[in-house]
Amino acid sequence: MKITSSLDKNQRALKSQLESDDITFLPVSIKKRKGTIIFLKDIADKKSVGELVLKPIKDLNGNITVKKLENAFLSPEKKTVDTVEQLIEEIMLGNTAFLLDGIDVAFSFDLKVFEKRAITEPPTSAVIKGPREGFVESIAVNVSLMRRRIKSPSLKIENLTIGKFSKTPVALCYISEVVDPSLVKALRQKLKNIDIDAVLDSSYVAKLIGEHQTSLFKQVGNTEKPDILSAKILEGRVAIFVDGSPIALTVPYLLVEDFQSPSDYYNSPYSANMARSLRLLSVMVSILLPAFFVASELFHLQLIPLSFLLTIVNSIKGIPLSPSFEMFFTLLIFEILNEASVRMPRYVGMVVSIVGGLVLGETAVNAGIISAPTLMIVAFSGICLFTVPELEQVFSIIRLLFLFIGGSLGGYGLILAICFLIIYLVSFESFNTPLMAPFSPIVKEDLKDGIYKGFLCEQVYRPKSIKNVNAKRQNIKEMKK
Amino acid sequence: MKFQLKTRQVCLFFIAFLPVSKLFTMPSIIAGCASEDMWISTLINLLLDLITLSFVLWTCKKTKTDFFGLLELNFGKLGSKIILLLYFFTFFFKALLPINQQKTYVELTLYETLPSFLNFLPFFLVSFFFCCKRIRVLGRVADIFWVITLIGLILIFLLSFTNSDFSAVLPIGAQGFINQSKGAFYSFNWFGDCAYLMFFIGQFQVKKNDCVKVFLSYLIPGLFVVFFMIIFYGVFTSIAFRQIFALTEISKYTIVINNIGRFDYVGIICILASNFFALALPLYFASLTLNKIFNIKPWICSLIVNGLTCFCVLAFAEHFASIEKFLSVYGNALFFITANVLPIITCVLKKENKENEVSAC
Repeated sequence: MKITSSLDKNQRALKSQLESDDITFLPVSIKKRKGTIIFLKDIADKKSVGELVLKPIKDLNGNITVKKLENAFLSPEKKTVDTVEQLIEEIMLGNTAFLLDGIDVAFSFDLKVFEKRAITEPPTSAVIKGPREGFVESIAVNVSLMRRRIKSPSLKIENLTIGKFSKTPVALCYISEVVDPSLVKALRQKLKNIDIDAVLDSSYVAKLIGEHQTSLFKQVGNTEKPDILSAKILEGRVAIFVDGSPIALTVPYLLVEDFQSPSDYYNSPYSANMARSLRLLSVMVSILLPAFFVASELFHLQLIPLSFLLTIVNSIKGIPLSPSFEMFFTLLIFEILNEASVRMPRYVGMVVSIVGGLVLGETAVNAGIISAPTLMIVAFSGICLFTVPELEQVFSIIRLLFLFIGGSLGGYGLILAICFLIIYLVSFESFNTPLMAPFSPIVKEDLKDGIYKGFLCEQVYRPKSIKNVNAKRQNIKEMKK
Repeated sequence: MKFQLKTRQVCLFFIAFLPVSKLFTMPSIIAGCASEDMWISTLINLLLDLITLSFVLWTCKKTKTDFFGLLELNFGKLGSKIILLLYFFTFFFKALLPINQQKTYVELTLYETLPSFLNFLPFFLVSFFFCCKRIRVLGRVADIFWVITLIGLILIFLLSFTNSDFSAVLPIGAQGFINQSKGAFYSFNWFGDCAYLMFFIGQFQVKKNDCVKVFLSYLIPGLFVVFFMIIFYGVFTSIAFRQIFALTEISKYTIVINNIGRFDYVGIICILASNFFALALPLYFASLTLNKIFNIKPWICSLIVNGLTCFCVLAFAEHFASIEKFLSVYGNALFFITANVLPIITCVLKKENKENEVSAC
């Protein structure tokens, strides 16, 4: 419906749809003409409404026209709206609307003020050395954090709105001189195609834009740190911010990203190499150790050295459970404790860890329900998995599956399971980027920042695994001059 | 034109999957015929493969169309389907024997309990999944598995090398050409891997020196196998022909094993993992040929091929000696035609540069 020059008619149309106690219709009078300011009382900055909207037009001379009003408003973010539906949308976004009798358009001003969380170090990626800033729930603050790091006109932000009811602001962020335009186009289209009631967190978007929606592995990267996101978009990725979420998404995603930590880039490459190798080893140990231990106990005793075998035999004497069930049972307890300690308040969580880890474990061993080697293997496997927190959930499921296979089919079943996993991973692609790059397919240049972390001076080019239009990122020759 | 594979992946494909399947039961079979000259029998087969490989590589260089296009161009639709049917049977029979022997190996040496057929059944499930994938997955798997194969081979070689009495293979050629040829003939099933390369024609770009790279990547693992035969005979000497599952035995006499347990199993597990792909490859190509002949969905072809193989392994478990006999007479003739004669013939075929669309890499 078009906005008419009759204020009463416009107001009636608006009020019929905006029946809510937090919506204020404030009558005003400008040069003896009736007007209304409409805003969400808990969101609009009333002081700014007075200073930037009302005060400037109060002293307008002569005939009041749309042009004159537009020029008079001091608010930097203003918009002229000519339909009631559009105006309602603006009000629902938290903007302030202004209607004046005799004027057949409305004005919308972005004068909203939300309560924001302070910028703090994200708990998911703490570093010893390096920037400690993390994203917050406000999309505007997150964009400003990016602008602070990349002061180039090539840093582009594209705003979109997703969610039928939530109308969540979403922003695409990329560097136009680097990113592959077809990726931006595809992503923009995917975001526009999303038709859902509400987007309450960036994880919704991550799940909806993924090409394999039922996949166990994630297809979209994420980070809570602006420095990491800057590095990622400088490699040719596209970032997605979702209002209300402190986690920014990145596309395309490579599995190796989760084995890289922010500190790898701020410490020496030697320690980074060691840390990355340990992470890879830990993940392998974590997934395979419980399963291989059970398979060895049940089917391949020859694999276990004799002295260790004797220790195991002594410790499992009198245990009522079969090795596979014992391991499964212990892993299940571990997963429950893990879940409980995450959900509980911090201090209670600590108690749960102590009671669960020390008391329950020791008592179970003493009571002869589970054996000490099993408990040790589960504890070690659990700790190992936390070296790569991003993949913890995926790998804990795989660990249970492998345990089931190891316990029922033995070592050969496990070998086949590994083969299956590798076939699945190497054939997995998201946004035309192989998940396992740069290892499969091998991208020689990118191996300098895979599990091996090369020196900064070696990384002359951007990763080839991620398609980009500007390959070179540093000019070593110029720097050496 | 976009290619499904890179030359590097073709090279790594041969490095990863060519040597592993030849280390299980093949050595004892050749030893039964050629004893200390078993390495010569292996060398004969390798040389034959290398000659064929040279012709196939020449074809790869000269043609821009893929293998199926090449066949259709020269033999028409029906002719190409008949040739593909020959390849289907080749790959199917080529898979049977090693898979059955792998099953026996797994059941008898890897497990201390008496495993049921169910323990080996997942092989066909994973193979079914593998056979549904596109050809580029072969290259990507090779990108990862060449490392695993190398780790396994190096470990087994290092552990067994010191126990080998190399003088056991002397005097060279003592068994005579007939026995050596017999050894080569009975192990023919394990060779002829350049038939796979036929299916890679037009799937990778052959630039300058690429033919040499592929040739070397076939030659070096082949020589590795020859060297393994020497070590094998050096370790077991006159009882080599009885060592059906020598891979688990060959390195167990080293002093390292006494100190730290069966460390060699790390190598064996690596080889077993790579060997899964080496065994599934004929099934993969059998599915591919079936798909091209009847134009049915890849997963249905994969289901048919894997189901049929599973059935044969399960149903004829007690009669595999007869199948082995049959394959060594008729199968080897078929293998020779499809793995050696046809690839050589391919190089004299018309190679008009018909730009075949190959799906994106």
